[in-house]
Amino acid sequence: MATFSKARRANNAVFLGLSVGAAGLGLLALVFILVALLWNGLAGLRPSVFTEMTPPPGAAGGLLNAIYGSVVMTLLGLAIGAPIGLLAGTYMAEHGRYSKLTVVVRFLNDILLSAPSIIIGLFVYEVVVTRIGHFSGIAGALALAILVIPVVARTTEDMLLLVPNQLREAASAMGLPRSHVVLKVAYSAARPGIITGLLLAFARISGETAPLLFTALNNQFWNADITGPTASLPTVIFQFALSPYKDWQQLAWTGALIITATVLILSIAARSLGSTRTAK
Amino acid sequence: MTTVADALTGADASTAAEPAPERAGRPALNKVSVRDLKFFYGDTLAIKGVSLNLEANRVTAFIGPSGCGKSTLLRVLNRMYDLYPRQRAEGEVLLDGQNILDPAMDLNLLRARIGMVFQKPTPFPMSIYENIAFGIRLYEKLPKSELDGRVEKALQGAALWNEVKDKLSASGLSLSGGQQQRLCIARTVALKPDVILLDEPCSALDPISTARVEELIDELKGQYTIAIVTHNMQQAARCSDYTAFMYLGELIEFGDTQRMFTSPTQKQTQQYITGRFG
Repeated sequence: MATFSKARRANNAVFLGLSVGAAGLGLLALVFILVALLWNGLAGLRPSVFTEMTPPPGAAGGLLNAIYGSVVMTLLGLAIGAPIGLLAGTYMAEHGRYSKLTVVVRFLNDILLSAPSIIIGLFVYEVVVTRIGHFSGIAGALALAILVIPVVARTTEDMLLLVPNQLREAASAMGLPRSHVVLKVAYSAARPGIITGLLLAFARISGETAPLLFTALNNQFWNADITGPTASLPTVIFQFALSPYKDWQQLAWTGALIITATVLILSIAARSLGSTRTAK
Repeated sequence: MTTVADALTGADASTAAEPAPERAGRPALNKVSVRDLKFFYGDTLAIKGVSLNLEANRVTAFIGPSGCGKSTLLRVLNRMYDLYPRQRAEGEVLLDGQNILDPAMDLNLLRARIGMVFQKPTPFPMSIYENIAFGIRLYEKLPKSELDGRVEKALQGAALWNEVKDKLSASGLSLSGGQQQRLCIARTVALKPDVILLDEPCSALDPISTARVEELIDELKGQYTIAIVTHNMQQAARCSDYTAFMYLGELIEFGDTQRMFTSPTQKQTQQYITGRFG
């Protein structure tokens, strides 16, 4: 009896040690990345980063055109992709829960979800860029939107499926039409999860480089017109980080820090917003 | 108006039980008449031809072992089953003479007339006030002051007002289980339904909350026709006027609660209510 429990305790210690070790290892990598990012990024964080254009090598400059392009394309991508994803997810979880179409849509959506983003970039390049004849911010936003759709559709569906059916029954039992059951009851119960899904999508596209290389390309200069080639933080980071010039590399670090900080701040803000709303 | 005699002659002769209970000296007004109801989950026959009447302003209890079809029967009365595929009902269910199984029936209107309270309390994720107000708003355009009055009346009707009047903007989820269940009853009452269906409303509640809800049922029957499914025999005996005993999808016996519990005519009923069943 005693040996049995001794063996169990030893087993417990081993597995506990392994899982704590694995968690620690994962965290350690994350901490290293963040520390390196802060260390190198903060060194170049000056007001001029937000007010000046990307410079030629050796000259002073900032990231304004890249930040502007990123903000516009990310927001436009979300604005196009999020409603489609939300509606698709709502269809799968609510109206079409028992239909065969849902099975097909879910399967295709999962494929799209795991498709390499460079393929999405190539697709938009073929369908949009070659037809129009030049790279553009709009094509970039479209590529990002295609990346947003599966993420939002999936999380929306999952979160709505987590809403207990009793709640839907209770709402239906009051004579609420289906639209009210979904909009007023299911959505408000699933809101924090749906917001998280939107954030995930935002976080994913704000760091995407490959699809933008094929669609928005890049732009060294200020260009507020998104029908032309548009700069973005990820592509600038890609270009500058690979360059042999010290000042370009510095700007790449700073750009990476800006993206990370933005995603972090937005997640915290949206989370506290979502939780205070539901706790009320 | 349907009388007991009408119901007797109109009933399906194949059921062993008497289709309408006797209550001497008073003509009964049948709010709901179920005629030869069959219910299918896919190909499985869950209710095998049940006929009975729910008398207006009375409480009718449904008892029977799990899986006997009593909850299913309740879910036919407001066509809850319509939310799910491959579930269907055959026969007739008349609400004030109108067949609610008619495919043309407006389900939202029907469900506003036949309220339902579930086993697990299901407050909506919104404030206590909104839990009640938003159902009312759907059917009536009321000025704020009148809406406030309706919410208060509903909460008083469910004996909850004194406990929540100072925190109407708190989340419905912040209440205790018993309070949540009374909130759900208030929400149902607020829509002024004709019939209230209670599907094991006390099974998740402690004895004190249960007593409150039972008192409430007694008060509510003055205005509503009530059907309650319960696993608790004492509860059926305490708060119902009529009791229906179901077993394996059939109505075994239906009658006056007092008579059912003192001198049941069917052997199965006797065995079930004395706890010697199966």
